[in-house]
Amino acid sequence: MRIATTQYHSTMNSALQTAAARLETTMQKMASGERMRVPSDDPIGSVRLARLAREEAALDQYRDNIGALRARLVQNETLLDGISRDMLAARDLLVWAADGGNTSDDVRAMSGSMRTLVDGIFFAANSRDQEGRYLFSGTASATATVVRDDAAPAGARYTFTGNTGEQKVMVGNGVAQTANVSLDEIAGLLNQLDRAAETLGAPGVDPNDAAVRGELVVALVGVDTGLASVLAKIAGFGGTQNILETLDTNHANVSLSNKHAALDIGQLDYGDAAVKLNGYTAALQATQKAYAQVSKLSLFDVL
Amino acid sequence: MALIVNGLSGALAAQAALNAASQNIANVMTPGYTRQGALLAAVSPKQAGALNAGSGVAVPALLRFSDGYKSLQMWQAASTLGGLATVQPYLSQLEQVVGNDAASINSGLDAFFGALNAASVDPSSSPLRHQVLTAADALAQRFNSLNQVLSNQRAAVYQQRIATVDGINNLTTAVASLNREIAVTRASGINPSGLIDERDQKIDALAKLVALQVVDQPDGSRSLSLRSGQPLVVGAIAAKLAVQGEPDGSQTLELTFAKESFKFDAANLGGELGGLDDFERRVLTPLMASITDMAKALSERTNAQLALGYALDGAPGKPLFEFDATSTTVMLRVVDGLVAKDLAFSTDPALPGDSGNLLELIELKSQPVGLASLGTVLFGDAVTQLVGKLGMDSQQNQAGLATAQTVRDQAEESWKSTSGVNSDEEAIAIMQFQQMYQANMKVIAVANELFDSTLAMLR
Repeated sequence: MRIATTQYHSTMNSALQTAAARLETTMQKMASGERMRVPSDDPIGSVRLARLAREEAALDQYRDNIGALRARLVQNETLLDGISRDMLAARDLLVWAADGGNTSDDVRAMSGSMRTLVDGIFFAANSRDQEGRYLFSGTASATATVVRDDAAPAGARYTFTGNTGEQKVMVGNGVAQTANVSLDEIAGLLNQLDRAAETLGAPGVDPNDAAVRGELVVALVGVDTGLASVLAKIAGFGGTQNILETLDTNHANVSLSNKHAALDIGQLDYGDAAVKLNGYTAALQATQKAYAQVSKLSLFDVL
Repeated sequence: MALIVNGLSGALAAQAALNAASQNIANVMTPGYTRQGALLAAVSPKQAGALNAGSGVAVPALLRFSDGYKSLQMWQAASTLGGLATVQPYLSQLEQVVGNDAASINSGLDAFFGALNAASVDPSSSPLRHQVLTAADALAQRFNSLNQVLSNQRAAVYQQRIATVDGINNLTTAVASLNREIAVTRASGINPSGLIDERDQKIDALAKLVALQVVDQPDGSRSLSLRSGQPLVVGAIAAKLAVQGEPDGSQTLELTFAKESFKFDAANLGGELGGLDDFERRVLTPLMASITDMAKALSERTNAQLALGYALDGAPGKPLFEFDATSTTVMLRVVDGLVAKDLAFSTDPALPGDSGNLLELIELKSQPVGLASLGTVLFGDAVTQLVGKLGMDSQQNQAGLATAQTVRDQAEESWKSTSGVNSDEEAIAIMQFQQMYQANMKVIAVANELFDSTLAMLR
């Protein structure tokens, strides 16, 4: 084919531009370490990467939730633990009071201790968070868990005013875990202990009186039932903690494999990039040398 | 004295050829210059006689080395290239903005649904509720800024269309007046090669702006029309294109030719004008519609779900988002004056700690949403798919652009191989015609000597 003189210059020009564009792209990728600068570098890859990022964001949130939930459960567990210890102490008092060797004064002294324990349990059951919301009222968190009506007779003073509604926390895709616990049994228990304290505190009370003993036995059974219920709730926290830990580990594993996948899809292969960079540089240099040689050739020089 | 006359004709022909070569060498770097050469033809003997070899050489015309087919190929390549090249900057910008994960709607949605999720740990907590409001506001901002980028792009497309149409009008006017000049020049016997080169370059520039059909006329003029048949230049008359703004903000094209004017479809015009239309119709408008659809669906569904619930103080749920499709700057925003306690997460006015409605809100992320350009997709995946589609559009355009550039380069090379100047070739021509000139001068000298010999005989 006949070649026009300016064709050499045009060819050189476009070769230079192509090489410069390739070098620029490769160097940008090397600088960022990313295989895809824009979605069009690999549309499918970028969609996969974006989906991994979405899943990562969700997993991060679930793991954050699990962390917050576990802290909340530990707080609840500590409070319930305190309540259960008070209940045990009350039980000890009841057992002691049921011992027929006690004098009337001994038993009345026990009544004072019993009242302190009842108050302790009452206040612990009405625990509130920093924003003043009741922890054990179910979903009626603005309402006190247990209220006391001093005008009512002993045994009916305490009423549970919360509910047993559950607060669900999202801890996985479609997985919700209950975050709260309601102390719905605590009012009955408090009423029985209150009544027992009232009975024991009566002037001249006879601990060997059948009626008094009957009261004590009822209170003892009530404490045992309440204690079993609270202990079951504490045990439930342990189980929940285990489930959460398993979930957290699962999330961590999925997250790790996502990160691996994201690296596989998105990260630049530096070896490959370096080889390409060398190739482009060599091609550019060769073109430049060829141009230098060719542009020297002119028939006018030898005329 | 045929010898002298023949020698003279040879010397004159050699001069003409040398002239042509010098013009070629002078224009070796001139873009669009078509090389010329002297067309030599032997002159038959003018007198009778078996021994009469002939009456020298003549240069009936200067030869213009051009191939109309190669010019046509070049112009077609210019249209394809122009269409794809004008779109690429728009696509690249969109990709950068929409594809940037940190600034995208995707991360905004992640943060919004993340905040809702976090609120489920303690649905009545003020800081957690406040975080939902902050994330909702940030998400709305992201929708707005993307919407604004898209609106700016549409404004840029409209401005470029007006500028392109102006360019087309200038070029068609120039081609029409060159057509007239060429016809006049040819009629008066002057070499029109330079004018033809100029006109072909104008046509080349025009072909970059819009695809053309070119028809050569017997008087040397060229008639141009659009691919769909509307006339642009007929002889010395040029049509006039105009951009009309429609009430809905869109644009249409109008062509006026010889007092007739009519609107025509901008689709499939080719060149930059066609490329702009293609981009607007295939990419920009559907993308804008999808983003608007998404903002609308987000606003409507969130508000509808909130309306089913109750705030912390037991009041019925208030809307969170305010959606305004007509505004390009504030398409989506959080309702003014909404505070953390107003978020209706509870299903029961008496139970502020209930999170039933909150869980329903979280579920919105995995609900399907119908978008203009994608059909029905999951809410949380919609933007990802939009970005994927955009990436594919851009990739396709880039591949087409690379091919079109190669085709254009080859068409140019092919054109140059016929019409471009090769200085070595001209060097040879100069040598050869110099020798031809010298030889013819020698012929005249010999004729002179022969004449002298004849005269000497008579002394």
